[in-house]
Amino acid sequence: MTAPAIEFQNVEKVYRRRLMGQEVAALTGVSFEVSQGEVCAFLGPNGAGKTTSISLLMGFLYADSGQIRVLGFEPGDIRAKKQIGFVPENFAFYKFLNAEKLLRFHAALAGADPVLASTLIPELLAKVKLQDFHGLKIGRYSRGMVQRLGIAQALLSDPQLLVMDEPTSGLDPAGRKEVRDLISSLKAAGKTIFLSSHILSEVEQICDRVIIIDRGKLVRAGSMEELLGAGDRVEIIADRLPQELDPVLAEWGAVIERGPHGVKIALSAARKRELAERLWASGCDVISITPLKSSLEDLYLNLTAAGGSPV
Amino acid sequence: MKIRTLAWNTFGSLLRDKLIILFLVLFACVVLLMMTPMLGAKAIKTAANAAQMQAMVLGLVAVIMSMVSGFGSLLAAWASADAVASEMKSGTILAVLARPVRRWEFLVGKFLGVMLLMAIYVLLMFGLSYLLAWMGGERIQSTPWVLLVYPMVRYAVYGAIAMLLVTLLHPVMAFGMAMLMGVLALMVVPTSLASGRFPAWLREPIYVLLPSTSLLSEDRFLTITQASLKQAGWLEHATTLAYGLDYALVFLLLAMWSFHYRSLKRD
Repeated sequence: MTAPAIEFQNVEKVYRRRLMGQEVAALTGVSFEVSQGEVCAFLGPNGAGKTTSISLLMGFLYADSGQIRVLGFEPGDIRAKKQIGFVPENFAFYKFLNAEKLLRFHAALAGADPVLASTLIPELLAKVKLQDFHGLKIGRYSRGMVQRLGIAQALLSDPQLLVMDEPTSGLDPAGRKEVRDLISSLKAAGKTIFLSSHILSEVEQICDRVIIIDRGKLVRAGSMEELLGAGDRVEIIADRLPQELDPVLAEWGAVIERGPHGVKIALSAARKRELAERLWASGCDVISITPLKSSLEDLYLNLTAAGGSPV
Repeated sequence: MKIRTLAWNTFGSLLRDKLIILFLVLFACVVLLMMTPMLGAKAIKTAANAAQMQAMVLGLVAVIMSMVSGFGSLLAAWASADAVASEMKSGTILAVLARPVRRWEFLVGKFLGVMLLMAIYVLLMFGLSYLLAWMGGERIQSTPWVLLVYPMVRYAVYGAIAMLLVTLLHPVMAFGMAMLMGVLALMVVPTSLASGRFPAWLREPIYVLLPSTSLLSEDRFLTITQASLKQAGWLEHATTLAYGLDYALVFLLLAMWSFHYRSLKRD
Protein backbone atom coordinates (compact mmCIF):
# COMPACT_ATOMS: atom_id res chain seq x y z
CA MET A 1 0.00 0.00 0.00
CA THR A 2 1.41 3.39 -0.98
CA ALA A 3 1.80 6.08 1.67
CA PRO A 4 -0.71 8.95 1.52
CA ALA A 5 0.45 11.98 -0.43
CA ILE A 6 -0.59 14.22 2.46
CA GLU A 7 -1.17 13.20 6.05
CA PHE A 8 -2.27 15.47 8.89
CA GLN A 9 -2.51 13.86 12.33
CA ASN A 10 -4.04 15.85 15.14
CA VAL A 11 -2.38 19.06 13.97
CA GLU A 12 -2.63 22.15 16.13
CA LYS A 13 -1.46 25.65 15.35
CA VAL A 14 -1.85 28.71 17.52
CA TYR A 15 -0.86 32.22 16.43
CA ARG A 16 0.62 34.11 19.32
CA ARG A 17 1.23 37.80 19.81
CA ARG A 18 3.62 37.58 22.68
CA LEU A 19 3.81 41.31 23.37
CA MET A 20 0.04 41.68 23.52
CA GLY A 21 -0.58 38.30 25.15
CA GLN A 22 -3.05 37.32 22.44
CA GLU A 23 -3.54 33.78 21.17
CA VAL A 24 -5.64 32.67 18.23
CA ALA A 25 -6.14 28.96 17.59
CA ALA A 26 -5.82 28.58 13.82
CA LEU A 27 -6.05 24.78 13.74
CA THR A 28 -7.33 22.46 16.44
CA GLY A 29 -6.78 18.71 16.20
CA VAL A 30 -7.01 18.55 12.41
CA SER A 31 -6.50 15.09 10.92
CA PHE A 32 -6.97 13.99 7.34
CA GLU A 33 -5.28 12.10 4.54
CA VAL A 34 -5.06 12.62 0.81
CA SER A 35 -4.20 9.50 -1.19
CA GLN A 36 -1.85 9.53 -4.13
CA GLY A 37 -3.56 10.20 -7.45
CA GLU A 38 -6.54 11.95 -5.86
CA VAL A 39 -7.89 15.38 -6.67
CA CYS A 40 -8.83 16.71 -3.26
CA ALA A 41 -10.65 19.95 -2.54
CA PHE A 42 -9.87 21.78 0.67
CA LEU A 43 -12.82 23.95 1.55
CA GLY A 44 -13.76 26.36 4.28
CA PRO A 45 -14.88 29.94 4.80
CA ASN A 46 -12.36 32.78 5.03
CA GLY A 47 -10.34 32.44 8.22
CA ALA A 48 -11.16 28.75 8.57
CA GLY A 49 -7.49 27.75 8.52
CA LYS A 50 -7.01 26.72 4.88
CA THR A 51 -4.00 28.92 4.17
CA THR A 52 -2.51 28.01 7.55
CA SER A 53 -2.87 24.32 6.68
CA ILE A 54 -1.28 24.84 3.27
CA SER A 55 1.53 26.88 4.84
CA LEU A 56 2.17 24.05 7.33
CA LEU A 57 2.11 21.54 4.50
CA MET A 58 4.66 23.55 2.52
CA GLY A 59 6.92 24.05 5.55
CA PHE A 60 6.38 27.81 5.74
CA LEU A 61 4.96 27.50 9.25
CA TYR A 62 5.58 25.00 12.02
CA ALA A 63 2.77 23.14 13.78
CA ASP A 64 2.58 23.44 17.57
CA SER A 65 1.68 19.76 17.86
CA GLY A 66 0.63 16.82 15.74
CA GLN A 67 2.31 15.28 12.75
CA ILE A 68 2.34 16.21 9.08
CA ARG A 69 3.83 14.09 6.30
CA VAL A 70 4.03 15.13 2.67
CA LEU A 71 4.91 12.38 0.19
CA GLY A 72 6.36 10.51 3.16
CA PHE A 73 8.60 13.36 4.34
CA GLU A 74 8.47 16.15 6.86
CA PRO A 75 7.06 19.42 5.46
CA GLY A 76 9.86 21.56 4.04
CA ASP A 77 12.05 18.53 3.39
CA ILE A 78 13.93 19.17 0.18
CA ARG A 79 13.12 15.63 -1.09
CA ALA A 80 9.41 16.37 -0.79
CA LYS A 81 9.73 19.86 -2.30
CA LYS A 82 11.41 18.37 -5.39
CA GLN A 83 8.10 16.62 -6.11
CA ILE A 84 5.73 19.46 -5.24
CA GLY A 85 4.38 22.19 -7.48
CA PHE A 86 2.88 25.08 -5.53
CA VAL A 87 0.47 27.73 -6.75
CA PRO A 88 0.17 30.31 -3.95
CA GLU A 89 -2.94 32.41 -3.54
CA ASN A 90 -2.20 35.66 -5.43
CA PHE A 91 1.05 34.44 -6.95
CA ALA A 92 3.74 37.07 -6.28
CA PHE A 93 6.54 37.69 -8.74
CA TYR A 94 9.59 39.80 -9.48
CA LYS A 95 8.16 42.67 -11.50
CA PHE A 96 11.40 43.35 -13.31
CA LEU A 97 11.47 39.89 -14.90
CA ASN A 98 9.50 38.67 -17.89
CA ALA A 99 7.69 35.33 -17.92
CA GLU A 100 10.54 33.47 -19.59
CA LYS A 101 13.17 34.81 -17.17
CA LEU A 102 10.96 34.08 -14.16
CA LEU A 103 10.46 30.50 -15.31
CA ARG A 104 14.22 30.16 -15.92
CA PHE A 105 14.82 31.43 -12.38
CA HIS A 106 12.38 28.88 -10.94
CA ALA A 107 13.80 26.12 -13.15
CA ALA A 108 17.29 26.87 -11.81
CA LEU A 109 15.98 26.72 -8.24
CA ALA A 110 14.26 23.43 -9.02
CA GLY A 111 17.61 22.10 -10.24
CA ALA A 112 16.33 21.58 -13.79
CA ASP A 113 18.78 21.03 -16.62
CA PRO A 114 19.09 24.43 -18.38
CA VAL A 115 18.89 22.76 -21.82
CA LEU A 116 15.72 20.89 -20.88
CA ALA A 117 14.32 24.03 -19.27
CA SER A 118 14.81 26.00 -22.47
CA THR A 119 12.57 23.56 -24.35
CA LEU A 120 10.09 23.11 -21.52
CA ILE A 121 9.51 26.81 -20.84
CA PRO A 122 7.99 27.70 -24.24
CA GLU A 123 5.76 24.59 -23.97
CA LEU A 124 4.52 25.63 -20.54
CA LEU A 125 3.92 29.20 -21.66
CA ALA A 126 1.90 27.88 -24.59
CA LYS A 127 -0.02 25.59 -22.22
CA VAL A 128 -1.14 28.56 -20.13
CA LYS A 129 -1.63 30.74 -23.23
CA LEU A 130 1.14 33.22 -22.40
CA GLN A 131 3.41 32.42 -25.36
CA ASP A 132 2.68 35.78 -26.98
CA PHE A 133 3.61 37.69 -23.81
CA HIS A 134 6.83 35.89 -22.85
CA GLY A 135 8.94 39.02 -23.33
CA LEU A 136 6.61 41.41 -21.50
CA LYS A 137 7.62 42.47 -17.97
CA ILE A 138 5.40 40.67 -15.45
CA GLY A 139 4.67 43.97 -13.76
CA ARG A 140 2.49 44.77 -16.79
CA TYR A 141 0.51 41.51 -16.66
CA SER A 142 -3.17 41.39 -15.71
CA ARG A 143 -4.17 39.42 -12.60
CA GLY A 144 -5.39 36.52 -14.72
CA MET A 145 -2.11 36.40 -16.64
CA VAL A 146 -0.14 36.36 -13.39
CA GLN A 147 -2.32 33.51 -12.15
CA ARG A 148 -1.62 31.53 -15.35
CA LEU A 149 2.08 32.18 -14.91
CA GLY A 150 1.81 30.90 -11.34
CA ILE A 151 0.32 27.68 -12.67
CA ALA A 152 3.08 27.39 -15.30
CA GLN A 153 5.82 27.74 -12.67
CA ALA A 154 4.16 25.08 -10.54
CA LEU A 155 4.30 22.63 -13.45
CA LEU A 156 7.98 23.28 -14.18
CA SER A 157 9.43 20.29 -12.40
CA ASP A 158 6.75 17.78 -13.47
CA PRO A 159 5.53 17.54 -9.85
CA GLN A 160 3.94 14.47 -8.29
CA LEU A 161 1.84 16.65 -5.97
CA LEU A 162 0.28 19.97 -6.89
CA VAL A 163 -0.79 22.24 -4.07
CA MET A 164 -3.03 24.99 -5.41
CA ASP A 165 -4.39 27.80 -3.28
CA GLU A 166 -7.29 29.41 -5.18
CA PRO A 167 -5.87 28.57 -8.63
CA THR A 168 -8.78 30.03 -10.58
CA SER A 169 -9.09 33.32 -8.73
CA GLY A 170 -8.69 36.20 -11.16
CA LEU A 171 -9.43 34.08 -14.20
CA ASP A 172 -12.27 34.65 -16.65
CA PRO A 173 -14.72 31.79 -17.39
CA ALA A 174 -12.61 30.57 -20.32
CA GLY A 175 -9.49 30.65 -18.16
CA ARG A 176 -11.29 28.73 -15.43
CA LYS A 177 -12.33 26.07 -17.87
CA GLU A 178 -8.74 25.76 -19.09
CA VAL A 179 -7.54 25.28 -15.52
CA ARG A 180 -10.24 22.67 -14.94
CA ASP A 181 -9.15 20.86 -18.09
CA LEU A 182 -5.54 21.10 -17.01
CA ILE A 183 -6.37 19.62 -13.61
CA SER A 184 -8.29 16.80 -15.31
CA SER A 185 -5.32 16.04 -17.57
CA LEU A 186 -2.97 16.06 -14.57
CA LYS A 187 -5.32 13.72 -12.75
CA ALA A 188 -5.31 11.41 -15.76
CA ALA A 189 -1.50 11.46 -15.59
CA GLY A 190 -1.73 10.17 -12.01
CA LYS A 191 -0.79 13.40 -10.22
CA THR A 192 -2.15 14.24 -6.79
CA ILE A 193 -3.84 17.61 -6.55
CA PHE A 194 -4.67 19.39 -3.32
CA LEU A 195 -6.81 22.34 -4.16
CA SER A 196 -8.27 25.16 -2.10
CA SER A 197 -11.16 26.97 -3.76
CA HIS A 198 -14.33 28.92 -3.05
CA ILE A 199 -15.87 28.01 -6.40
CA LEU A 200 -17.85 24.99 -5.30
CA SER A 201 -19.39 24.19 -8.68
CA GLU A 202 -15.87 23.72 -10.07
CA VAL A 203 -14.82 21.63 -7.14
CA GLU A 204 -17.85 19.40 -7.65
CA GLN A 205 -16.86 18.88 -11.28
CA ILE A 206 -13.21 18.01 -10.85
CA CYS A 207 -12.56 16.68 -7.36
CA ASP A 208 -12.70 13.09 -6.06
CA ARG A 209 -12.59 14.02 -2.44
CA VAL A 210 -13.51 16.95 -0.23
CA ILE A 211 -12.15 18.15 3.10
CA ILE A 212 -14.11 20.91 4.83
CA ILE A 213 -12.73 22.88 7.75
CA ASP A 214 -14.28 25.67 9.72
CA ARG A 215 -12.84 27.79 12.51
CA GLY A 216 -9.72 25.62 12.61
CA LYS A 217 -11.56 22.33 12.98
CA LEU A 218 -12.22 19.58 10.48
CA VAL A 219 -15.96 19.36 9.94
CA ARG A 220 -16.19 16.76 7.18
CA ALA A 221 -13.91 14.72 4.94
CA GLY A 222 -14.84 12.10 2.43
CA SER A 223 -15.29 11.19 -1.19
CA MET A 224 -17.61 13.33 -3.25
CA GLU A 225 -20.11 10.45 -3.45
CA GLU A 226 -20.08 9.89 0.29
CA LEU A 227 -20.62 13.54 1.04
CA LEU A 228 -23.23 14.27 -1.55
CA GLY A 229 -25.11 11.09 -0.73
CA ALA A 230 -25.50 9.75 -4.27
CA GLY A 231 -28.08 6.94 -4.25
CA ASP A 232 -29.65 7.78 -0.87
CA ARG A 233 -32.70 9.39 -2.41
CA VAL A 234 -34.36 9.20 -5.79
CA GLU A 235 -36.79 11.29 -7.71
CA ILE A 236 -39.66 9.52 -9.47
CA ILE A 237 -41.61 11.38 -12.11
CA ALA A 238 -45.03 9.95 -12.92
CA ASP A 239 -47.86 11.26 -15.12
CA ARG A 240 -50.20 11.37 -12.10
CA LEU A 241 -50.48 10.26 -8.47
CA PRO A 242 -53.64 8.57 -7.09
CA GLN A 243 -54.97 10.23 -3.88
CA GLU A 244 -54.89 6.91 -1.95
CA LEU A 245 -51.08 6.88 -2.14
CA ASP A 246 -50.70 10.25 -0.37
CA PRO A 247 -50.85 8.90 3.21
CA VAL A 248 -48.41 6.11 2.35
CA LEU A 249 -45.95 8.58 0.85
CA ALA A 250 -46.31 10.89 3.85
CA GLU A 251 -45.44 7.95 6.10
CA TRP A 252 -42.33 7.21 3.98
CA GLY A 253 -41.17 10.83 4.27
CA ALA A 254 -41.53 11.50 0.54
CA VAL A 255 -41.76 15.01 -0.87
CA ILE A 256 -44.46 15.46 -3.50
CA GLU A 257 -44.48 18.22 -6.08
CA ARG A 258 -47.47 18.31 -8.43
CA GLY A 259 -47.09 20.15 -11.74
CA PRO A 260 -48.98 20.58 -15.02
CA HIS A 261 -46.99 17.82 -16.73
CA GLY A 262 -46.91 15.27 -13.93
CA VAL A 263 -45.87 14.62 -10.37
CA LYS A 264 -42.36 14.60 -8.89
CA ILE A 265 -41.89 12.38 -5.85
CA ALA A 266 -38.61 12.49 -3.93
CA LEU A 267 -38.16 9.60 -1.53
CA SER A 268 -35.70 7.12 -0.05
CA ALA A 269 -34.01 4.94 -2.67
CA ALA A 270 -35.04 1.86 -0.64
CA ARG A 271 -38.71 2.57 -1.45
CA LYS A 272 -38.34 3.30 -5.16
CA ARG A 273 -39.23 -0.19 -6.41
CA GLU A 274 -42.29 -0.46 -4.14
CA LEU A 275 -43.61 2.93 -5.22
CA ALA A 276 -42.98 2.21 -8.90
CA GLU A 277 -44.93 -1.06 -8.61
CA ARG A 278 -47.83 0.66 -6.81
CA LEU A 279 -47.91 3.36 -9.48
CA TRP A 280 -48.00 0.80 -12.27
CA ALA A 281 -50.65 -1.20 -10.40
CA SER A 282 -52.78 1.98 -10.24
CA GLY A 283 -52.44 2.44 -14.00
CA CYS A 284 -50.01 5.37 -13.77
CA ASP A 285 -47.10 5.86 -16.12
CA VAL A 286 -43.62 6.13 -14.51
CA ILE A 287 -41.71 8.58 -16.69
CA SER A 288 -38.31 8.52 -14.94
CA ILE A 289 -36.45 7.40 -11.82
CA THR A 290 -33.34 9.54 -11.10
CA PRO A 291 -30.87 9.35 -8.17
CA LEU A 292 -30.92 12.60 -6.20
CA LYS A 293 -27.71 14.33 -5.08
CA SER A 294 -27.49 17.29 -2.78
CA SER A 295 -25.16 19.97 -4.14
CA LEU A 296 -21.76 20.63 -2.61
CA GLU A 297 -22.89 24.18 -1.96
CA ASP A 298 -25.83 22.95 0.17
CA LEU A 299 -23.55 20.65 2.11
CA TYR A 300 -20.91 23.35 2.57
CA LEU A 301 -23.40 25.93 3.78
CA ASN A 302 -24.94 23.42 6.18
CA LEU A 303 -21.60 22.43 7.63
CA THR A 304 -19.86 25.75 7.96
CA ALA A 305 -20.53 28.95 9.79
CA ALA A 306 -20.88 30.56 6.35
CA GLY A 307 -24.30 28.95 6.23
CA GLY A 308 -25.31 30.61 9.45
CA SER A 309 -25.49 27.45 11.56
CA PRO A 310 -22.57 26.83 13.85
CA VAL A 311 -21.14 23.31 13.72
CA MET B 1 23.83 26.72 -8.44
CA LYS B 2 20.70 27.63 -6.42
CA ILE B 3 22.65 30.04 -4.23
CA ARG B 4 24.20 31.64 -7.32
CA THR B 5 20.76 31.99 -8.92
CA LEU B 6 19.39 33.61 -5.77
CA ALA B 7 22.41 35.90 -5.48
CA TRP B 8 22.09 37.16 -9.06
CA ASN B 9 18.37 37.66 -8.67
CA THR B 10 18.92 39.62 -5.44
CA PHE B 11 21.58 41.72 -7.13
CA GLY B 12 19.16 42.44 -10.00
CA SER B 13 16.41 43.41 -7.54
CA LEU B 14 18.72 45.72 -5.58
CA LEU B 15 19.91 47.47 -8.74
CA ARG B 16 16.26 48.28 -9.45
CA ASP B 17 15.36 49.22 -5.87
CA LYS B 18 13.97 52.75 -6.14
CA LEU B 19 14.96 53.71 -2.60
CA ILE B 20 18.55 52.60 -3.10
CA ILE B 21 18.74 54.41 -6.46
CA LEU B 22 17.31 57.57 -4.89
CA PHE B 23 19.81 57.54 -2.03
CA LEU B 24 22.73 56.81 -4.35
CA VAL B 25 21.75 59.71 -6.61
CA LEU B 26 21.35 62.07 -3.64
CA PHE B 27 24.63 60.92 -2.21
CA ALA B 28 26.41 61.41 -5.53
CA CYS B 29 25.03 64.98 -5.61
CA VAL B 30 26.35 65.64 -2.10
CA VAL B 31 29.79 64.31 -3.07
CA LEU B 32 29.82 66.46 -6.21
CA LEU B 33 28.81 69.53 -4.18
CA MET B 34 31.59 68.82 -1.70
CA MET B 35 34.07 68.63 -4.54
CA THR B 36 33.20 72.19 -5.60
CA PRO B 37 35.15 73.98 -2.80
CA MET B 38 38.02 71.64 -3.46
CA LEU B 39 38.19 72.70 -7.09
CA GLY B 40 37.79 76.31 -5.99
CA ALA B 41 40.71 75.96 -3.59
CA LYS B 42 42.82 74.55 -6.39
CA ALA B 43 41.86 77.43 -8.65
CA ILE B 44 42.94 80.11 -6.18
CA LYS B 45 46.13 78.32 -5.21
CA THR B 46 49.16 80.60 -5.46
CA ALA B 47 52.77 80.20 -4.46
CA ALA B 48 52.02 82.08 -1.23
CA ASN B 49 49.07 79.97 -0.07
CA ALA B 50 50.09 76.66 -1.69
CA ALA B 51 50.60 74.76 1.54
CA GLN B 52 47.37 76.07 3.06
CA MET B 53 45.32 75.25 -0.04
CA GLN B 54 46.90 71.81 -0.30
CA ALA B 55 46.01 71.06 3.30
CA MET B 56 42.43 72.19 2.63
CA VAL B 57 42.17 70.00 -0.47
CA LEU B 58 43.51 66.98 1.36
CA GLY B 59 41.19 67.65 4.29
CA LEU B 60 38.21 67.71 1.96
CA VAL B 61 39.36 64.54 0.26
CA ALA B 62 39.60 62.82 3.63
CA VAL B 63 36.08 63.98 4.61
CA ILE B 64 34.57 62.86 1.31
CA MET B 65 36.23 59.47 1.47
CA SER B 66 35.15 58.81 5.03
CA MET B 67 31.60 59.89 4.08
CA VAL B 68 31.58 57.56 1.10
CA SER B 69 32.95 54.75 3.20
CA GLY B 70 30.39 55.36 5.96
CA PHE B 71 27.56 55.54 3.46
CA GLY B 72 28.64 52.11 2.23
CA SER B 73 27.94 50.73 5.72
CA LEU B 74 24.44 52.23 5.60
CA LEU B 75 23.90 50.79 2.15
CA ALA B 76 25.10 47.31 3.17
CA ALA B 77 22.80 47.29 6.22
CA TRP B 78 19.79 48.61 4.33
CA ALA B 79 20.28 46.35 1.30
CA SER B 80 20.56 43.27 3.54
CA ALA B 81 17.47 44.17 5.55
CA ASP B 82 15.49 45.05 2.45
CA ALA B 83 16.59 42.01 0.42
CA VAL B 84 14.87 39.68 2.89
CA ALA B 85 12.03 41.95 4.00
CA SER B 86 10.88 42.82 0.48
CA GLU B 87 10.50 39.13 -0.35
CA MET B 88 8.39 38.66 2.78
CA LYS B 89 6.30 41.73 2.03
CA SER B 90 5.57 40.85 -1.58
CA GLY B 91 5.14 37.13 -0.92
CA THR B 92 7.71 36.09 -3.55
CA ILE B 93 9.48 34.17 -0.79
CA LEU B 94 6.65 31.61 -0.77
CA ALA B 95 7.11 30.62 -4.41
CA VAL B 96 10.89 30.54 -3.96
CA LEU B 97 10.89 28.44 -0.81
CA ALA B 98 8.33 26.06 -2.29
CA ARG B 99 11.21 25.03 -4.55
CA PRO B 100 13.81 22.57 -3.29
CA VAL B 101 15.70 25.39 -1.63
CA ARG B 102 16.74 25.25 2.01
CA ARG B 103 16.13 28.30 4.13
CA TRP B 104 19.83 28.81 4.78
CA GLU B 105 20.50 28.62 1.04
CA PHE B 106 17.95 31.38 0.50
CA LEU B 107 19.60 33.58 3.12
CA VAL B 108 23.13 32.96 1.83
CA GLY B 109 21.93 33.75 -1.70
CA LYS B 110 20.46 37.02 -0.45
CA PHE B 111 23.64 37.86 1.44
CA LEU B 112 25.85 37.18 -1.57
CA GLY B 113 23.54 39.30 -3.75
CA VAL B 114 24.06 42.19 -1.32
CA MET B 115 27.80 41.58 -1.37
CA LEU B 116 27.75 41.76 -5.19
CA LEU B 117 26.13 45.18 -4.91
CA MET B 118 28.70 46.22 -2.33
CA ALA B 119 31.52 44.99 -4.57
CA ILE B 120 30.32 47.41 -7.26
CA TYR B 121 30.11 50.15 -4.64
CA VAL B 122 33.63 49.42 -3.39
CA LEU B 123 34.98 49.52 -6.94
CA LEU B 124 33.33 52.91 -7.46
CA MET B 125 34.69 54.09 -4.12
CA PHE B 126 38.13 52.86 -5.13
CA GLY B 127 37.91 54.80 -8.40
CA LEU B 128 36.68 57.89 -6.55
CA SER B 129 39.58 57.80 -4.10
CA TYR B 130 42.07 57.73 -6.98
CA LEU B 131 40.15 60.50 -8.77
CA LEU B 132 40.12 62.69 -5.66
CA ALA B 133 43.81 62.06 -5.02
CA TRP B 134 44.56 63.05 -8.61
CA MET B 135 42.40 66.15 -8.31
CA GLY B 136 44.17 67.01 -5.06
CA GLY B 137 47.48 66.76 -6.88
CA GLU B 138 48.65 63.77 -4.87
CA ARG B 139 48.77 60.06 -5.33
CA ILE B 140 47.47 57.21 -3.21
CA GLN B 141 50.17 55.64 -1.11
CA SER B 142 48.23 52.59 0.01
CA THR B 143 48.32 49.14 -1.55
CA PRO B 144 45.20 48.88 -3.78
CA TRP B 145 43.98 45.54 -2.42
CA VAL B 146 43.67 47.03 1.07
CA LEU B 147 41.25 49.64 -0.24
CA LEU B 148 39.13 46.89 -1.79
CA VAL B 149 39.22 44.13 0.80
CA TYR B 150 38.85 46.09 4.04
CA PRO B 151 35.59 47.86 3.10
CA MET B 152 34.18 44.61 1.73
CA VAL B 153 34.83 42.86 5.04
CA ARG B 154 33.35 45.76 6.96
CA TYR B 155 30.27 45.80 4.75
CA ALA B 156 29.97 42.03 5.16
CA VAL B 157 29.83 42.59 8.94
CA TYR B 158 27.11 45.24 8.60
CA GLY B 159 25.21 43.13 6.09
CA ALA B 160 25.29 40.07 8.34
CA ILE B 161 24.17 42.07 11.39
CA ALA B 162 21.25 43.57 9.46
CA MET B 163 20.35 40.15 8.08
CA LEU B 164 20.17 38.68 11.56
CA LEU B 165 18.10 41.60 12.83
CA VAL B 166 15.66 41.48 9.92
CA THR B 167 14.83 37.85 10.71
CA LEU B 168 13.54 39.16 14.05
CA LEU B 169 12.40 42.74 13.47
CA HIS B 170 10.78 45.10 10.99
CA PRO B 171 13.38 46.10 8.33
CA VAL B 172 13.46 49.75 9.41
CA MET B 173 14.08 48.72 13.01
CA ALA B 174 16.67 46.19 11.87
CA PHE B 175 18.46 48.88 9.86
CA GLY B 176 18.26 51.34 12.75
CA MET B 177 19.64 48.84 15.22
CA ALA B 178 22.48 47.83 12.89
CA MET B 179 23.41 51.50 12.57
CA LEU B 180 23.15 52.03 16.31
CA MET B 181 25.50 49.11 16.83
CA GLY B 182 27.91 50.61 14.31
CA VAL B 183 27.87 54.03 16.01
CA LEU B 184 28.23 52.50 19.47
CA ALA B 185 31.15 50.41 18.26
CA LEU B 186 32.89 53.57 17.07
CA MET B 187 32.14 55.42 20.32
CA VAL B 188 33.59 52.82 22.67
CA VAL B 189 36.92 52.49 20.89
CA PRO B 190 39.54 53.55 23.50
CA THR B 191 41.01 56.15 21.13
CA SER B 192 37.59 57.74 20.57
CA LEU B 193 36.85 61.05 22.29
CA ALA B 194 33.36 59.79 23.18
CA SER B 195 34.60 56.69 24.96
CA GLY B 196 35.13 58.67 28.16
CA ARG B 197 31.37 59.26 28.40
CA PHE B 198 30.73 55.59 29.06
CA PRO B 199 31.48 54.03 32.43
CA ALA B 200 34.12 51.32 32.17
CA TRP B 201 31.70 48.53 33.18
CA LEU B 202 29.54 49.42 30.14
CA ARG B 203 32.23 50.47 27.68
CA GLU B 204 34.35 47.35 27.95
CA PRO B 205 31.64 44.74 27.29
CA ILE B 206 30.31 46.82 24.37
CA TYR B 207 33.83 47.14 22.99
CA VAL B 208 34.36 43.40 23.18
CA LEU B 209 30.91 42.42 21.87
CA LEU B 210 30.42 44.84 19.01
CA PRO B 211 32.50 44.64 15.84
CA SER B 212 35.40 47.04 15.78
CA THR B 213 34.57 48.76 12.55
CA SER B 214 37.32 51.30 13.11
CA LEU B 215 39.81 48.45 13.11
CA LEU B 216 38.31 47.27 9.83
CA SER B 217 38.34 50.72 8.32
CA GLU B 218 40.41 51.18 5.20
CA ASP B 219 40.90 54.79 6.35
CA ARG B 220 43.74 53.46 8.48
CA PHE B 221 45.60 52.68 5.29
CA LEU B 222 44.21 55.27 2.92
CA THR B 223 46.98 57.80 3.02
CA ILE B 224 47.24 60.18 0.16
CA THR B 225 49.84 62.55 1.48
CA GLN B 226 53.38 62.22 0.26
CA ALA B 227 54.50 61.37 3.77
CA SER B 228 55.83 57.88 4.15
CA LEU B 229 53.16 55.41 5.21
CA LYS B 230 53.52 53.02 8.08
CA GLN B 231 53.18 49.66 6.39
CA ALA B 232 51.12 46.99 8.11
CA GLY B 233 52.54 43.50 8.04
CA TRP B 234 50.75 40.52 6.48
CA LEU B 235 50.09 39.07 9.91
CA GLU B 236 48.33 42.25 11.00
CA HIS B 237 46.21 42.28 7.85
CA ALA B 238 45.43 38.59 8.18
CA THR B 239 44.35 38.77 11.81
CA THR B 240 42.32 41.97 11.31
CA LEU B 241 40.49 40.58 8.27
CA ALA B 242 39.97 37.20 9.95
CA TYR B 243 38.46 39.07 12.90
CA GLY B 244 36.02 40.86 10.57
CA LEU B 245 35.15 37.76 8.58
CA ASP B 246 34.67 35.77 11.76
CA TYR B 247 32.28 38.42 13.00
CA ALA B 248 30.32 38.38 9.73
CA LEU B 249 30.20 34.59 9.75
CA VAL B 250 28.93 34.39 13.32
CA PHE B 251 26.13 36.87 12.56
CA LEU B 252 25.27 35.11 9.33
CA LEU B 253 25.07 31.75 11.12
CA LEU B 254 22.86 33.33 13.79
CA ALA B 255 20.68 34.79 11.01
CA MET B 256 20.36 31.33 9.39
CA TRP B 257 19.40 29.78 12.72
CA SER B 258 16.84 32.50 13.43
CA PHE B 259 15.44 32.35 9.89
CA HIS B 260 15.10 28.56 10.07
CA TYR B 261 12.54 28.86 12.86
CA ARG B 262 10.77 31.92 11.51
CA SER B 263 7.20 31.72 10.25
CA LEU B 264 7.06 32.59 6.57
CA LYS B 265 4.00 34.39 5.38
CA ARG B 266 3.16 37.43 3.36
CA ASP B 267 3.62 40.44 5.69
